[in-house]
Amino acid sequence: MEMDLGADQVINPEVALKACQEVLLMDKLQNREAPEQRRDDQQQQQQQQQRFADPTEGSAPLWLVSPDACSIKEEDEGDEAEEEGRLHRDPSPPPRPAPPSLLPAAAASKQSWLLRLFESKLFDVSMAISYLYKSKEPGVQAYIGNRLFSFPDSEVDFYLPQLLNMYVHMDTEVGDAIRPYLIHRCRGGITFSLLTAWLLGAYSSDMHISTQRHSRGTKLRKLILSDELKPTAPPPDALVPVCGSPPSSPPRSRCHRRHNSSNTDSASLFSSAGPAPAEAFLSPTRRTHHRSKSDATTASSEPGSGLRRTGSNPKVEAVHEEPERLRPQRELVKSLLGIGKRLATLPTKEQKTQRLISELSQLNHKLPARVWLPTAERQHHVCRIPHTQAVVLNSKDKAPYIIYVEVLECKSFETSPVPVRIPETRIRSARSAENLDCGGASDANNVGMMSEHRAGSFSTVPNYDNDDEAWATDDIGQLQVEVEAQTSSSDNISQFSVDSITSLESKEPVFIAAGDIRRRLSENLAHTPTTFRRDPEDPSAVALKEPWEDKVRRIREGSPYGHLMNWRLLSVIVKCGDDLRQELLAYQVLRQLQSIWQQERVPLWIKPYKILVMSSDSGMIEPVLNAVSLHQVRKQSQLSLLDYFLQEHGSFTTEAFLAAQRSFVQSCAGYSLICYLLQVKDRHNGNILLDSEGHIIHIDFGFILSSSPRNLGFETSAFKLTSEFVDVMGGLDGDMFIYYKMLILQGLIAARKHMEKVLQIVEIMQQGSHLACFHGSSTIRGLKERFHMSLTEEQLQLLVEQLVDGSMRSITTKLYDSFQYVTNGIM
Amino acid sequence: MSQVEKKAGLLRRTSSSKKPLKEKVVLMYDEIFAKEDPAKNNPRFWDELFLMKVNLEYLESKLESVDGEEVQRIQDNINSLFHHCIQALGEEHQIKVVNALQTLCALFRGVHQKNKSASGFDIINMLMGFDKAEQRMKDLMERLDSLLCGGGSESLKSLCLKLLLCLVTVTDNISQNTILEYVMINSIFEAILQILSDVSSRGQHGYDAVVLLALLVNYRKYESVNPYIVKLSIVDDEPTLDGMGMVVHQALTEYNRQYKDKEEENQGGFFSTFTSMVGSMFIADADEKLSVQTNEAILLALYEAVHLNRNFITVLAQSHPEMDIPTTPTTPTPTTPTTPLGTTPPSLDIILCFYLLICCVVMNNPELPLDPNLQTSNLLITFLKYASIVMQDTKDEHRLNSARLCLIILTCIAEDQYADAFLHDDNMNFRVNLHRMPMRHRKKAVDKNIPSRPLVCAVLDLMVEFIVTHMMKDFPMDLYMRCVQIIHKLLCYQKKCRIRLHYTWRELWSALINLLKFLLSNETTLLAKHNIFHLALLVVNLFNMFITYGDTFLPTSNSYDELYYEIVRMHQVFDNLYCMVLRVSTNTGQWKEAASKVTHALVNVRAIVNHFDPKIESYAAVNHISQLSEEQVLEVVRSNYDTLTLKLQDGLDQFERYSEQPKEAAFFKELVRSISLNVRKNVSLNTLSQGVLLKEFSTIS
Repeated sequence: MEMDLGADQVINPEVALKACQEVLLMDKLQNREAPEQRRDDQQQQQQQQQRFADPTEGSAPLWLVSPDACSIKEEDEGDEAEEEGRLHRDPSPPPRPAPPSLLPAAAASKQSWLLRLFESKLFDVSMAISYLYKSKEPGVQAYIGNRLFSFPDSEVDFYLPQLLNMYVHMDTEVGDAIRPYLIHRCRGGITFSLLTAWLLGAYSSDMHISTQRHSRGTKLRKLILSDELKPTAPPPDALVPVCGSPPSSPPRSRCHRRHNSSNTDSASLFSSAGPAPAEAFLSPTRRTHHRSKSDATTASSEPGSGLRRTGSNPKVEAVHEEPERLRPQRELVKSLLGIGKRLATLPTKEQKTQRLISELSQLNHKLPARVWLPTAERQHHVCRIPHTQAVVLNSKDKAPYIIYVEVLECKSFETSPVPVRIPETRIRSARSAENLDCGGASDANNVGMMSEHRAGSFSTVPNYDNDDEAWATDDIGQLQVEVEAQTSSSDNISQFSVDSITSLESKEPVFIAAGDIRRRLSENLAHTPTTFRRDPEDPSAVALKEPWEDKVRRIREGSPYGHLMNWRLLSVIVKCGDDLRQELLAYQVLRQLQSIWQQERVPLWIKPYKILVMSSDSGMIEPVLNAVSLHQVRKQSQLSLLDYFLQEHGSFTTEAFLAAQRSFVQSCAGYSLICYLLQVKDRHNGNILLDSEGHIIHIDFGFILSSSPRNLGFETSAFKLTSEFVDVMGGLDGDMFIYYKMLILQGLIAARKHMEKVLQIVEIMQQGSHLACFHGSSTIRGLKERFHMSLTEEQLQLLVEQLVDGSMRSITTKLYDSFQYVTNGIM
Repeated sequence: MSQVEKKAGLLRRTSSSKKPLKEKVVLMYDEIFAKEDPAKNNPRFWDELFLMKVNLEYLESKLESVDGEEVQRIQDNINSLFHHCIQALGEEHQIKVVNALQTLCALFRGVHQKNKSASGFDIINMLMGFDKAEQRMKDLMERLDSLLCGGGSESLKSLCLKLLLCLVTVTDNISQNTILEYVMINSIFEAILQILSDVSSRGQHGYDAVVLLALLVNYRKYESVNPYIVKLSIVDDEPTLDGMGMVVHQALTEYNRQYKDKEEENQGGFFSTFTSMVGSMFIADADEKLSVQTNEAILLALYEAVHLNRNFITVLAQSHPEMDIPTTPTTPTPTTPTTPLGTTPPSLDIILCFYLLICCVVMNNPELPLDPNLQTSNLLITFLKYASIVMQDTKDEHRLNSARLCLIILTCIAEDQYADAFLHDDNMNFRVNLHRMPMRHRKKAVDKNIPSRPLVCAVLDLMVEFIVTHMMKDFPMDLYMRCVQIIHKLLCYQKKCRIRLHYTWRELWSALINLLKFLLSNETTLLAKHNIFHLALLVVNLFNMFITYGDTFLPTSNSYDELYYEIVRMHQVFDNLYCMVLRVSTNTGQWKEAASKVTHALVNVRAIVNHFDPKIESYAAVNHISQLSEEQVLEVVRSNYDTLTLKLQDGLDQFERYSEQPKEAAFFKELVRSISLNVRKNVSLNTLSQGVLLKEFSTIS
């Protein structure tokens, strides 16, 4: 376990482990009075944990070692360990480096069952969190708090909501145990700091206002946002190649940081209103432009022109102070949320969309900057928001919107230089070449067009506006690029049939058939993927229907940054006025189930989408790509779901249709189970997406577990299974429908095996929460019961049959759909 | 000193009987216009002079009245005055600076009025002396630059700009203003940019700065390297360009608003009912009332920015929430120092400041709740609306110039790839309310619910609107040519990028066919003045674009059928046109070649007519229908494509790029001349209220 972590860990796992052991020992000593009772408790817990944690290796029980024997041993060495243990219970410092030679001896000598579990390979973050939550022993809590350092960051990150909720709402001991880890990670990274601050804010909001102000969570949040938690060590993948060893000279590393930021952060305009000096990192286009500028100024600078000033940006000097670490990103989030709030005040979708576009274009002036999308996998800087692509999503009174974001990937957004701004108009001139390419796609009839095009491009050169020298030189440079681009595409031209080229040279007339033109027109129109009609009341339909690849290509073509190798397009939904904490909970459960199903090799398909909680009423959502809602499908295509599948994927027997059908069934099974387990409600067609591969994806987990919309008692069925769905699966007697039921059964069996992992996520979040999904006292019990631990597999099969049967015949689903249609216009 | 007193005493005595008392400053002016060095007897003469309130009229008239010989005599004193003016600009005492600026204004003006015929060199000599001119002007420009860029009083900055405007417009023809050579060498460009980049200074001085820039760019544009052109073409600082765009946007918005107000005034009253009763004879009167003074200066600035700076194109699409500017601002915002001198009517200035102030507030305060009725607008939309108003009536010279300039700007926009990209951007949809001329044969579509569409639709609408409304005896051939060329350029872009615009092309087709019809029926009168064949060729080639390349940019298959339907339906027009051009091209005459080009261009249209006409007739005969419905004709068209062969014509998707020189040079020269006159007229130093300045500076100094 230690080996594979070593590479990118700041904390030496050995050190952490040693610290853990010491704490544990001390704990034993302190609680010597009642060891028996406690041991029983823990043993029970452990047995249970063990049973579900890893059934494959569960056959080798670890607790066979006699507990009495080792506890005696521990007592012997306890005294000297206590002192060291104290040191480590002090929350502030991260564990000190210790000679690794101590480790084997210590490990060999202390054979406690709990310790063995904690040291075993089976002990993962999930178990750590579980023990942290359940154990009432400060020692165990402290041990786990320290042990957190040894887990990979990414694994702990998954449980960040749980950790923070415990930190906010549970007793002091738990908080003290977690705090060092949180502080350490906050020092390590801006992302973690911000995520932690946002979540702390969100989870503290359920407390009473008077206690909230002085609560631990609020204090920690303030500490983070005050930006006092600067890294004491260089961040993990900073330029220092040594790992595991403490930084040799902090002053030097600070210098390094400052150097970077003076160059780059001054360019990040979120820190100041001044324009970017940004002379340091010039892209090629920029450089040529600069040359022309200096040429122009020297050309005109006669002896008398003494008025030298940085004409375009007179305020350069003011920007050089080091900006706060977190500020650019916080400003970005603030402005995005601000836009959302302002949009909500506008009455029509059209106005909202226009307003959104204009606001985003203002935002664009301040990019690129040291900002990034926290939902993304890889490190990057946001360089541009293609504002015209943003759309307002359908919502009755809020104004969620989706934006597309151009980013440039980088090694580390904290240390890599911020990319230099490229003016909007500097689109690659290669665009015209690309158009030529697609224009000349082997169609012989295009030849005339093509060669004319070439001729045209040359003839424009002498005609070009030659008003004055500077303008002309500037432009001819540009033109040359264009001409080059076009000659490079002349390879294509040469591939065309020889006779048409010669015919053009000999000036003989070329004839074309009107029928061909007409045919090409209808063919071209047929070949373009089916698009939705533009509807001012539903602007998102068109935007979301466009295949992601097409969108990326299109935006890349229109972007001044598009030519850069590390250019990527991301997207994000900004939500204002919605509490996303439940969504986050649902996401975690979905992720957990997904990994369980993957582990158990059950082909159920679900798509958990990332959630960023920024406060109790705002946040961001990672959009599901290439997906439109069933409502939009229905409204735009006016087809039944099956007919839509046939239209999109081909007739019943085609490969494409069958693949899409399989995707549909697998995703239906996945989400049926999710809906059943989590009691997901409000399942109207606007909340179910259909992606281009045929998967359905449920979105909007606003009503789960104990909450249901308006408590009307609709939707009593286990999950949504309409006859349309069954039709796509090939009818009630079809193989695919049987497959569907089988998948649900397999999924349920797999989920049951790992119930604890799922339960734990929900249970911890219930702590101190006022969320509607935890309303009442039976939430966890109900959830537990739905896993049906007591049933045999045969009984389970029967249960699944009943569930499916019940859902299908449920009138309430249908009723609910028509209810939605009447109240919200959702088909 | 004693002499002065004596003199004063003498004057006082005489004046007591005839004239009122002479001001001290006037006496001092008189001293300057005397032979001797005024400082000889009073070493503090110049210091005192700039403490006096300037008497512009007197100084100017005095300069005017000096005749040839006297000039020689007093040149040293005038040189000295000029020199001291410049020195006074550096004074801490702001009153002195103000007076010096105004004195300079008077000097420039007076000298020029006097020497209308004199060469620029004489004027320079008279003002500064040849040997010192370079140094003097360098000093002057540096002082002005530091005043404009410094943190001093806004009124001072405003005065500096007025002085510059005054200097730039003293001659009718800007290129003959030799003093500007020094303004070229000692560039004030950076100062202008700085004013535009800053929100508050833009609000107060933006208009003057933009007009000044537009004029400076036009100094000897075609003869020499103008550093302002060079510099303007490479500006890429977005806040600055945006600021420039904002100033233009505000000015045009204000114009549109004034027009709309007048229009509503007219419509609501008794007058409109009266005109509708009596008929067309009073429409002219109504139009008169509707005309609002056009603003070519700001349009010229827009043109130069679009034409010279390709980064400016982005500004066109930059959206700003369109503010409903209050018609009468109830409280002129007290924080804004009103500009003492107005090139623009003061009301506009105040509104502008008011508007910009609101903008600032909105920008600085994102939490401010916004009026839900606001429509997002951008410079291009405002410009299109403006153009639609200006183009309605092209009878008078100013409006004709404005309309022409609008079309030239649109030509530049249509040629720019980036501009085309956002014009055709499917995600940028706007409702653009173009103004339509009330005409007898059509009802004015009041508040017709315009769908939200890509901006290019509005451009096309505007072109169609122009085409159908200007077929008159006094045919604006030049405008028509530009109009059709703009459409052509847009089509070329659509073809190249395969953009299928959902536009009702039928309206365009029928407008174009009607245009051909008009050309035919007025052949003789038009031919006397214009080469109508060139226009006819362009129009026919637009049809050829649709016929041969329709598959690349038409939105639906049906639209291609409709094109054929429209051609066949109006075949008479094409037949007549063919007859006419054939006739002219077979005769020998000056139009022979031009006409024969049209005959060649018509080959495909004629092929279509000749192919489908018999088919339709036989269909009617077979089915015994006298009048075929549209659907039936379309059916015939659809089923008979395959037997029709078309000829591929060369160069349909090529166009001559816009070039200012040499074609447009004369137009711009005249335009700049008229703008200069207008600006000069409006830079009225008389409106200067010393009171305001005194009040302001008494607290400062």
